[in-house]
Amino acid sequence: MNLDILRDPLDRRSFVERCARTAFGLSIMPFFTGSAAAEPARGAGFGKAKRIIMIHLDGGLSHIDSFDPKEGASKGPGSAVSTKAGFQLTSFLPETAKIADKITVIRSMTAKVGVHESARYLMRTGFEKRGTIVHPVLGAWAQHYLGPSSKTLPSSVCVNQNSGHGNGFFPATYSPLPILDPDGGLANSKAPVADDKMTKRQQLLAQLDESFSKRVPDENVRAYNDFYDTTLQLMKSSDLQAFDLGAEKAELRDRYGRNRFGQGCLLARRLVESGVRFVEVHSGGWDMHKELEDAMEDRGGEFDRAFAALVADLDSRGMLDSTLVAVTTEFGRKPAFEGNGRGHHPLAFSTVLAGGGTKRGFVYGSSDAKGYKAAENPTSPGDFHATIAWAAGMPIEKEAMSGSGRPFTVGNKGKPALGVFA
Amino acid sequence: MNRIAATIIATAVAATVSAAPAGKGKLRRAAAAAAIAKPAAPQTPAATPQAQSSAAVDVSSPWHTWSDSSGRKIEAAFCALQGNLCTVQTKDGLTYRLNLEALVLENRIFARAYAAKLNENRFKDAYVKQAAFQIDHLIGSTLVAKGLKFNTAANDEQFVRRLYLDTIGRVPTAAEASAFLKDTTPDKRAKLIDALLDSPGYAMHMYNWLADTFRVKDEIGRGAKAYLFQDWLKDQLAADRPWDAMVREMLTADGKLCENGAAGFLLRDAQMPLDGVSNLLTTFLGANVGCAQCHDHPLAQWTQRDFYQMAAFFGATDGYDQAAYSRSRKLAKSDSAGLNRQQVQSIAGVNVFRLIDTPKQDLTFPKDYKYDDAKPGSHVAPQLISWSSTDTKLPIYKVNTANPPQLRDEFARWMTSPQNPRFATNIANRMWKKVFGLAVQEPVGDIDDTTKASNPQLLAHITEIMKAAKFDLRQFQRVLLNSQTYQRASSLTPDLEKGPYLFPGPLLRRMTAEQTWDSILALTSGPEVDNALLRRGDEMQLLSLPGNAITAQNFKYVIDRAKDAGLEMGGYGGGKKGKGPNPRKLMAAYEGTKPQQRNGLLLARASELPQPAPESHFLRLFGQSDRLVADSNTTDGSVPQALMMMNGPIGQLIADSNSTAVVAAASAKGRDEQIDSLYLSFLARKPSITERSTAAKALESGLTVGDVAWTLLNSREFLFVQ
Repeated sequence: MNLDILRDPLDRRSFVERCARTAFGLSIMPFFTGSAAAEPARGAGFGKAKRIIMIHLDGGLSHIDSFDPKEGASKGPGSAVSTKAGFQLTSFLPETAKIADKITVIRSMTAKVGVHESARYLMRTGFEKRGTIVHPVLGAWAQHYLGPSSKTLPSSVCVNQNSGHGNGFFPATYSPLPILDPDGGLANSKAPVADDKMTKRQQLLAQLDESFSKRVPDENVRAYNDFYDTTLQLMKSSDLQAFDLGAEKAELRDRYGRNRFGQGCLLARRLVESGVRFVEVHSGGWDMHKELEDAMEDRGGEFDRAFAALVADLDSRGMLDSTLVAVTTEFGRKPAFEGNGRGHHPLAFSTVLAGGGTKRGFVYGSSDAKGYKAAENPTSPGDFHATIAWAAGMPIEKEAMSGSGRPFTVGNKGKPALGVFA
Repeated sequence: MNRIAATIIATAVAATVSAAPAGKGKLRRAAAAAAIAKPAAPQTPAATPQAQSSAAVDVSSPWHTWSDSSGRKIEAAFCALQGNLCTVQTKDGLTYRLNLEALVLENRIFARAYAAKLNENRFKDAYVKQAAFQIDHLIGSTLVAKGLKFNTAANDEQFVRRLYLDTIGRVPTAAEASAFLKDTTPDKRAKLIDALLDSPGYAMHMYNWLADTFRVKDEIGRGAKAYLFQDWLKDQLAADRPWDAMVREMLTADGKLCENGAAGFLLRDAQMPLDGVSNLLTTFLGANVGCAQCHDHPLAQWTQRDFYQMAAFFGATDGYDQAAYSRSRKLAKSDSAGLNRQQVQSIAGVNVFRLIDTPKQDLTFPKDYKYDDAKPGSHVAPQLISWSSTDTKLPIYKVNTANPPQLRDEFARWMTSPQNPRFATNIANRMWKKVFGLAVQEPVGDIDDTTKASNPQLLAHITEIMKAAKFDLRQFQRVLLNSQTYQRASSLTPDLEKGPYLFPGPLLRRMTAEQTWDSILALTSGPEVDNALLRRGDEMQLLSLPGNAITAQNFKYVIDRAKDAGLEMGGYGGGKKGKGPNPRKLMAAYEGTKPQQRNGLLLARASELPQPAPESHFLRLFGQSDRLVADSNTTDGSVPQALMMMNGPIGQLIADSNSTAVVAAASAKGRDEQIDSLYLSFLARKPSITERSTAAKALESGLTVGDVAWTLLNSREFLFVQ
């Protein structure tokens, strides 16, 4: 696919409309028809991010031991290291330090949820977890407001984790396509039998399945019908090689790190390059209650290499200004260093943004001297989501309705942190 | 704390193993395994032989000498009988599963008689009828009050498929479905319920369910393998151990991961003891305490102080020997010791995870504690939570907190008592969800305010059934499955935002990942798949470091001992990360039938595979939990699932001329009969006239029976449970 079409907003708009019309039979997206009159004035950064890579460090990244080093009682096993961007990182992030002049660190994240599952949900959707409804992830919101990003490839992909009903209350096909093993890519994408046989099988399947779908008009059954339709589309796509890491040079694959997270980041770059709008990459093992130093060296090292390689790679390809890389986690970790590690701490933590119209070499907000509370520019998970949605050009005040008619907005009425944009 | 007295059903921890001559455990197991011939496929329920003559046999003691026809003998106690698989336990605590058909006649009579004796504790049929009727009544009255109606009754075809999936976790084969459909006796449904609850697949299905809740993982950190815990859990389920006894044993267990299976539950969270307490309170009491770990719960009644006071019951428990781990890491790194680093790591892992009670309970409030009711960093005194002001007057609230090493025992006694305000309700509510697709009170992890249940009387009633069953989960399910409510047509997915679901019938559900996989196995390999049992715990016992000394000499001793016993050292890591364990090593760990390997797949049931399955495995694509967070299996669809079914090895396996369903169909007389057979295999029903003629036309146009099988595999109807 020609990338330029995605770089120019007008071209992208016509592209989106074309896709919507041809592939999904939808009308023109409301946002572009001017119905978003209630939007705040479009300021700096609006709509600059054509593609988004969102990195989730599951378990809770210690802000104090990574992007928000502290001295005194809170200090951890790593030392603070100055970067050319003028701010400090810990010694656990030597590679990130080298590209510090390309990123914005948000040091004033704050939330109230300190339980893994709920916090992960909050940071992934911008909403608190409820028993009666599932909220969409940003990729699904983007698909709702901006339409599909590619004719044949999915608009959202989730790497290293199942997508966990990421579509929320939107149609099931808005759910990110899960890739659990980046090395394996999109497995089984070629039919194992001759085309004419496959066609006959498909015809028979459509005929035999019809009566069940009619008899049982269930939303989950319908979702499966949609997934089979999407899958058949995808199998015909010439863009499938986007999933194949084998096409990358060995040297580059090494630079990202030969582990699931590193290769996942490289896969994310390939995918956004080919027309996927939104890619989540997950890294597990950040719950550092004990042996934090070892874990920051191992897991932290994997992240450090892959993240730095991704930002540098995107920049060298001229894609960084139009691709937003966001690093997020469940919560921070306590200032008190106890039992060789730190407990859960949602009151203050750090996230990172790179590219997509954000400032290069910048720190937004701060935590207090101990790293206990957000001080300047407190930023909630909803604000963080609204910021990314803003960068992606989504109408953040426009409501979308759940199946039972409840209104929601992307970022849950959060305020975008406009200060992060260049 | 003393380890709970060994019951005949507890898997053992051979305390003697560490001092035993090299390989003793392994050799003994090998000798007994020889007596385990291939177990026969479970009989179709209608033909299941019931206990024969029990009059002539002495069943006063479970101890018996078991011999096979070639004269090999072991002395062991009877534990459980499932189909033809008899579980027994020797004096040193090892469990064995024997194929009844390979044993001498006298053994068979004894096993059946003893099983019948144990069955005497079961609910009487009259009680089941009355308790099930009360369920129907309580649901009926809420439906009437809202002007709603019950769903129509499920037909036999819907019933048999659903029941197989809900009890033994897979679809019935064509032969099994047909046997039931042809049966004309009036109580055939009740009979099938009893037969299936007694089949080997029952324990496998229950294990999958609990493994999701307990976050069962092969590896729990530091290279430590929790195989012994998995074996223990499977044995509890096979032997029908009551839930309260099982939970009590897990909470009071002592010892190392490589010694005591039951200890594996608490050791899962040994590195994060506070999270562990939070998990267990939610899992066993439905207490929504997660938030209170860090601050007062914003909505529920729990305060951070409540949480810490509960956690203090585990404040004298230590699960992880940090010093020993550091020493062994140094040892592994030192060249002078001359040890294989990976081997040391594997051994160290299962030895440093060990539960002991310390003389002092030393939990303190966090340094950043911000409420007025306690000082930051001050000592926490244990105190039980309560749900109402009258709770604390119950006798179970009288606990002795003076003796730190006894704190866990005291806590466990309180928690697992039928008097506990939530213990019985919690498991009843969770089991209800398993059977009906939704709990009476959702979410299951928050039943603090039971007035919020969709039907509080129903919740109270099933709590009473659970208590009457004395926490026998099989008996409890027997009541639910015999209710008319269960035996009704399924409802479409309700919109819970519009109001609670009142259970006019069970919910339509997508099969779980495990049900889907296990059903596919039955279709490709037949019911024989229920007899391949993965048991990897025995050899763990060989890895116990005598005297816990972290010395090169001791490690060398253990490595040699393991090698002598034929253990492949260094292979525990399971090969490349994410790719699953060494297949050859895995294959050696199956008892009963060896599973088939076809199209690069190991065709063993989900419970008998690595836990969880590797990331790219079919099971994970279909939503098996990664076992990091409790209760996180999913049933969402995805593109990779459709690709796997259509193009992947599963689709090919099903279409293959060797697959059981295709073989059964191909052997039928005419084209229509072939189609009928396939429909029975996949959907437990006959095709409609239109479906039959559509499929027949396809067969005429050049598609094979295998192609039609592929089509039915990919049909939505296959994937959903009606």
